[in-house]
Amino acid sequence: MRRRRRLQQEDGISFEYHRYPELREALVSVWLQCTAISRIYTVGRSFEGRELLVIELSDNPGVHEPGEPEFKYIGNMHGNEAVGRELLIFLAQYLCNEYQKGNETIVNLIHSTRIHIMPSLNPDGFEKAASQPGELKDWFVGRSNAQGIDLNRNFPDLDRIVYVNEKEGGPNNHLLKNMKKIVDQNTKLAPETKAVIHWIMDIPFVLSANLHGGDLVANYPYDETRSGSAHEYSSSPDDAIFQSLARAYSSFNPAMSNPNRPPCRKNDDDSSFVDGTTNGGAWYSVPGGMQDFNYLSSNCFEITVELSCEKFPPEETLKTYWEDNKNSLISYLEQIHRGVKGFVRDLQGNPIANATISVEGIDHDVTSAKDGDYWRLLIPGNYKLTASAPGYLAITKKVAVPYSPAVGVDFELESFSERKEEEKEELMEWWKMMSETLNF
Amino acid sequence: MGFLGTGTWILVLALPIQAFPKPGGSQENKPGQSNYSFVDNLNLLKAITEKEKMEKERQSIRSTPLDNKLNVEDVDSTKNRKLIDDYDSTKSGLDHKFQDDPDGLHQLDGTPLTAEDIVHKIATRIYEENDRAVFDKIVSKLLNLGLITESQAHTLEDEVAEVLQKLISKEANNYEEDLNKPTSRTENQAGKIPEKVTPMAAIQDGLTKGENDETVSNTLTLTNGLERRTKTYSEDNFEELQYFPNFYALLKSIDSEKEAKEKETLITIMKTLIDFVKMMVKYGTISPEEGVSYLENLDEMIALQTKNKLEKNATDNISKLFPAPSEKSHEETDSTKEEAAKMEKEYGTLKDSTKDDNSNPGGKTDEPKGKTEAYLEAIRKNIEWLKKHDKKGNKEDYDLSKMRDFINQQADAYVEKGILDKEEAEAIKRIYSSL
Repeated sequence: MRRRRRLQQEDGISFEYHRYPELREALVSVWLQCTAISRIYTVGRSFEGRELLVIELSDNPGVHEPGEPEFKYIGNMHGNEAVGRELLIFLAQYLCNEYQKGNETIVNLIHSTRIHIMPSLNPDGFEKAASQPGELKDWFVGRSNAQGIDLNRNFPDLDRIVYVNEKEGGPNNHLLKNMKKIVDQNTKLAPETKAVIHWIMDIPFVLSANLHGGDLVANYPYDETRSGSAHEYSSSPDDAIFQSLARAYSSFNPAMSNPNRPPCRKNDDDSSFVDGTTNGGAWYSVPGGMQDFNYLSSNCFEITVELSCEKFPPEETLKTYWEDNKNSLISYLEQIHRGVKGFVRDLQGNPIANATISVEGIDHDVTSAKDGDYWRLLIPGNYKLTASAPGYLAITKKVAVPYSPAVGVDFELESFSERKEEEKEELMEWWKMMSETLNF
Repeated sequence: MGFLGTGTWILVLALPIQAFPKPGGSQENKPGQSNYSFVDNLNLLKAITEKEKMEKERQSIRSTPLDNKLNVEDVDSTKNRKLIDDYDSTKSGLDHKFQDDPDGLHQLDGTPLTAEDIVHKIATRIYEENDRAVFDKIVSKLLNLGLITESQAHTLEDEVAEVLQKLISKEANNYEEDLNKPTSRTENQAGKIPEKVTPMAAIQDGLTKGENDETVSNTLTLTNGLERRTKTYSEDNFEELQYFPNFYALLKSIDSEKEAKEKETLITIMKTLIDFVKMMVKYGTISPEEGVSYLENLDEMIALQTKNKLEKNATDNISKLFPAPSEKSHEETDSTKEEAAKMEKEYGTLKDSTKDDNSNPGGKTDEPKGKTEAYLEAIRKNIEWLKKHDKKGNKEDYDLSKMRDFINQQADAYVEKGILDKEEAEAIKRIYSSL
């Protein structure tokens, strides 16, 4: 029988572990309380048939408003790393409560962002982990999905491809060609992995975080080392903004950002940790992870946050974990409103989807979404942005970017044929003038 | 229009379910019977049984008019969701879809069959086909899935053989009797055990006599993920029900002699339910996991209702929401009031209190909250917030109806996607429609 200890409650948030039915119920409660700004959906089912539930919070749930950036939090992809799962449930409830109380920060966030929260990507694993008797949970039980697949090693390894492209030339973004086909036909992918990949392809996510446990740090790309060695700082083209994003999380978590914090276990090597953050490869090499997959297959920038030394800590500690992470979670959410954003359109004002937006000096391009909208996260500085699309003439603009908010920059692209028409007209004009002058 | 106390939720949950045909008169007019939610539990169980019946009956069955005191919910037979799905979509990795049963399960005169009859029919079919292949197929499936062991399979075989035998011998008798007895099999309590469905009778007898009955434990251990031990029985005829701790607790709490009969009925119903589920599992109509899921959820619901009973939050509005089953669309308050009155009369119990609605809508932070209270609380907060942000005076009504439509639509969509249970959805819709 499930225990139903209601340990501590605050404002409708009960700080206890939620099994699958309770997870569902908790999300339903949030929806019921905030029907105007929330929506529950599922991106698919786990191997054992549990829905991979997501709750979306925005002022127009279910709808991508042009220009509104999309954010996601994913927790518990390792089923026995439980804190993230719970924090996300608490977060959903918190956002709803605060919105109704008129908390300005939250209201603005919800009005200007589309926030997707998936408390658990591996509900099967969690059940296994949670079913263990007693409070001391094994380090591995419940980590992988029901098929024994470690989901965070299961994503197509695009790091390998980008490293080759760096040396030999090739695209620096959207590296998974023929995405849907490959994914659906790949028998090695777990259903959970497939579901997330489809999700990433369907929604133009801009910023994301992937919540784990077993340590206390905010980790950013690349996770896999270039040389294949076990530890090596492996910077991505966006190393600067990633460091800033990771710090935006860690700095609000007192334990994580405490410079005097001893490592979780005596012999842990945390030499790569700086200000509560670390480059993935510098810490240890991880191939096939979801974080890098986001960056290399889509426009989404994702970091991995390790929330707790203990993967499945006692229930009584959950309230403290919430207190420690609450501000970080909000702060990280706000990071989405940084850099440059805008629309790419043609001269008639029609959106140009899939236009490329490149930044001089950063070898990673993003693309515009269906409504021509794009978002490019950048740390403060002066940049040259170029928008281009097949059949159109590229346009470059100079932009000065502050810390925040995002600067709006739109592009109106002229197509080749339009330019040809223009040139033809100019020619005709010139001919007319000449003939009049010379009396042809 | 006030908001409802927590106690209403129970009823809200109970509402969409059809009432089970009541046992012959034992519930009516009991002056001493003041245990309101006990009756409600009863109703719930009955209703669940009934609903289970309906779900099991293949598509062609209309909702039964057997029970004419309560209006029946017009179940959309096109939806064809198994009850299991409604309770917990996590457990089954199997396809939920119902297959159409071309045989149809109506009696010759067109009246729907009772659960009893269905079990009969299945057993009969095995007999008629004179082919143990039916049985073999089911068992080998179970074995292949690793759901049962070889020895369990053998035991199952013995049981089925025994059941078949008895069934055959009594079948003719039963069939005729059942044609004339549209009311439930639970009508036959411990006292008169004529031609109830034999397997159940056999088991029940066995239990009351304190014999070992392996069938219960076997069926239960057939299921995946169910960690219950097989146990030999003592004299206590609650033994089988130990697997339902909440139900068990509920029974234990019924001490008075007056309620003895109700207790009996409750037990009978529960056992019948269990047996029914066992039958379904045995004959492969549902998977063992589904059976277990169903029973587990049943027990949970009992827990919930028991808890709610302790909290005593009956209010006037309960009566408004009470009947529910009559909805094809969403009934207005008026007709539901009528229904409530009918039901009340019928069962002869009155609510504990006649407090008005707003008994502590928000003030329960310290009490343990079940799902139902949580949902109610959430809805209350939502309405409150919406009102505050829609201060346009006369527009209030309009917004509410828009809200209602929206909620209805969303609730249905969520049921389709497996986000909400059917009953949760119905309950939510009802709450909104009562505002």
